[in-house]
Amino acid sequence: MAYELQYYPGATSVAENRRKHMSGKVEKLREISDDDLTLVLGHRAPGSDYPSTHPPLAEMGEPECSVREMVEPTPGAKAGDRVRYVQFVDSMYNGPSVPYFRSYAASINFRGVDPGTLSGRQVVEARERDMEEIAKFQMETEMTCPALASLRGATVHGHSLRLPEDGVMFDMLDRCRREGDVIIMHKDQVGRPIDKKVNLGKPMSAEEAAKRTTIYRVDNVAFRDDAEVIEWVHRVFDQRTTYGFKPEN
Amino acid sequence: MADDRKRMFAKHMEIKYTKEHGTNKMNGGEITDKTVEYYRLGVDQNPRKLEMKKAGKELAEKRGLVGYNPMMHCGGIPLGQRALTPSFLSGTDDMVEIDDLHYVNNAAMQQMWDDIRRTVIVGLDMAHETLEKRLGIEVTPETINHYLETLNHALPGGAVVQEHMVETHPALVDDCFVKIFTGDDELADEIDSQFLIDINKQFPAEQAEQLKAAIGKNSFQAAHIPTIVSRTTDGGQTSRWMAMQVGMAFISAYSMCAGEAAVADLSYAAKHAGVIQMGEMLPARRARAPNEPGGIPFGHMADIIQTSRKTPEDPANVTLEVVGGACMLYDQIWLGSYMSGGVGFTQYATAAYCNNILDDNLYYNVDYINDKYDGAATTGTDNKIKADLEVVKDIATESTIYGLENYEKYPTTLEDHFGGSQRATSLSAAAGSAVSLATGNGNAGLSGWYLCMYLHKEAHGRLGFFGYDLQDQCGATNVLSYQSDEGLALELRGPNYPNYAMNVGHQGGYTAIASAAHAGRGDAYAVNPLVKVCFADDLLPFDFSKPRKEFARGALKEFEPAGERSLIIPAK
Repeated sequence: MAYELQYYPGATSVAENRRKHMSGKVEKLREISDDDLTLVLGHRAPGSDYPSTHPPLAEMGEPECSVREMVEPTPGAKAGDRVRYVQFVDSMYNGPSVPYFRSYAASINFRGVDPGTLSGRQVVEARERDMEEIAKFQMETEMTCPALASLRGATVHGHSLRLPEDGVMFDMLDRCRREGDVIIMHKDQVGRPIDKKVNLGKPMSAEEAAKRTTIYRVDNVAFRDDAEVIEWVHRVFDQRTTYGFKPEN
Repeated sequence: MADDRKRMFAKHMEIKYTKEHGTNKMNGGEITDKTVEYYRLGVDQNPRKLEMKKAGKELAEKRGLVGYNPMMHCGGIPLGQRALTPSFLSGTDDMVEIDDLHYVNNAAMQQMWDDIRRTVIVGLDMAHETLEKRLGIEVTPETINHYLETLNHALPGGAVVQEHMVETHPALVDDCFVKIFTGDDELADEIDSQFLIDINKQFPAEQAEQLKAAIGKNSFQAAHIPTIVSRTTDGGQTSRWMAMQVGMAFISAYSMCAGEAAVADLSYAAKHAGVIQMGEMLPARRARAPNEPGGIPFGHMADIIQTSRKTPEDPANVTLEVVGGACMLYDQIWLGSYMSGGVGFTQYATAAYCNNILDDNLYYNVDYINDKYDGAATTGTDNKIKADLEVVKDIATESTIYGLENYEKYPTTLEDHFGGSQRATSLSAAAGSAVSLATGNGNAGLSGWYLCMYLHKEAHGRLGFFGYDLQDQCGATNVLSYQSDEGLALELRGPNYPNYAMNVGHQGGYTAIASAAHAGRGDAYAVNPLVKVCFADDLLPFDFSKPRKEFARGALKEFEPAGERSLIIPAK
């Protein structure tokens, strides 16, 4: 019998959503054009070439190396792209993703990524075109709600702040706004104004966000109600503790 | 347990987030609201920021070089896009501006560290044996009193023995003094009361008996060199300054020959053999002298804070005062300045001692423990629960989920602890301290700390900054290890312990957990009875029995520090 990946314990919708994020089998909800993505990331002008830090690998005359032969370079590495970042901030008010599960999703489903996980933000650094691939994947799928998640290179504390009345996560730098029934972004990740308003799509309704979220909250799916997850955390705790306690050594 | 308890943070959250006061513009609402209107008023909404803005402008004009300018923030978008709320010091009703909790802006915080750094304990017994057995000089209570009178002249910088010496001005070193303490009631009775830390008066009877039994017939000097000296030099100077003046005082008080060989023995005793530093020196990679904060073990810090002799019936309060003092010292001063720099560390630390959020969590835990474990969180030794992993899991899990749910039910608390590191510190300090209170075992409490970190990370899908992921995921593995460089009793661990050396937001919590184990038992001290007695002194400028109140006084500019230089600078 083939082994089936388990990913994560738990019997609740939050646990199920976490499994989805980790597996990469998430629903696509919207389209972001390549040029719009480039604009909001703010690393280069739309349509411009990828700046490179070295010639394409094929022109480099790489040394003989079994590891290099075994591991296929990512497209960005092949082309010699520089390393750039995408950073997401997720509201704790039922934002669809959370920092750890963005990192797990990146590590499991994408190659050549360097995820960093903090409380308010989650960053992935990668060769530029590889980074754009994972950025686009997250922005277009149920991993992101344009009102409750946002690209932010700096000032990320909106994640824990009360929601403004329009339901768009607080942003000190006012990068995103609700216009009509969609969310637009008029500044790039680090808050520099951009030439056009980028349509990020419709925000999730409160009900949809509650259904798709990966955060436990007492007013939605309470952590204390997911007994299997707590039991699993206890098991990890037991094992780490007793592993270190080895008086016979 | 029923969820109808009044939250201890409710009043502070209401004032901070729903009521207008001064320039704090609010739109009402409830502390449970999930939405709010943000006014984006910038720094002009806050009186302290306005004062600083004006001072920055004046500075630039005066010196012809720009300085503080809040419009430099984020390309011209200043702080204050949400409300810049003041804070309450936990356990008090004192509301302060948050800027005034940076130690640079708070004289009480500076003095707390000054008073620790300039303190050293020196045994008297070796010196007395040298005098009696080697030189045949009789040592009596009268000679001891004379010696202490001499030393209280010499220690601040008064000359003895030699002629035509420079001296320090007494008004600049008025915080410098030495007293003695002993476990010998008969000797204590003979000592002039001005020189004595009277254990029987400073401590409740039961604690006094514990301390006297631990100290025995031995006698020790509690020496505090001048703040101004300590600030100009470093913690390593404390024992050297003290030893020089102790040596001179012995020569003078006992009419010794200034150059006789026995003086070397007295010096050796004062400089090395009989000295108890507040902190050990650090290795080269974090090189600091003795008596610098990175070398102060958590157990010493727990003993430096004096709340345990004031409210022994309320061990949670003892723990929370220790949190305040230790977070300030270890996070704001040690990690926030010695090891790093700037302003961010204040934000971590204040979360643990402001606005009663941690207090509420810990007192809930006390109720939970007392209900479930038959009063185990009340002060005592025969009511404790056996420290095992099942107990750790039960208490730490309940504590953590209660704390997490507060952030979820009261969005203003989530906004107050707007960073995950702040939440992680508060939650884990509550969980760890609760386990300590119930078991009387600091390492069990530490175990609760780590479980809390795991649960928090899993519930919210996030924890603190990168370091929390690193240290707090591997920490459980060394909780019960006593192998060298891996583990120790929590009381003996410290800021330089492997894995803890860069743990911002942790070390104050660890200190609290160590303290809680002993406060819960009603112990007079956590690890060192000498340190506990040394700081039981009302003459110290900083009141170590209520550090949070002192920080409030500092923020409100009511605290009178030592070591001021106004006597020797132009009057303004």
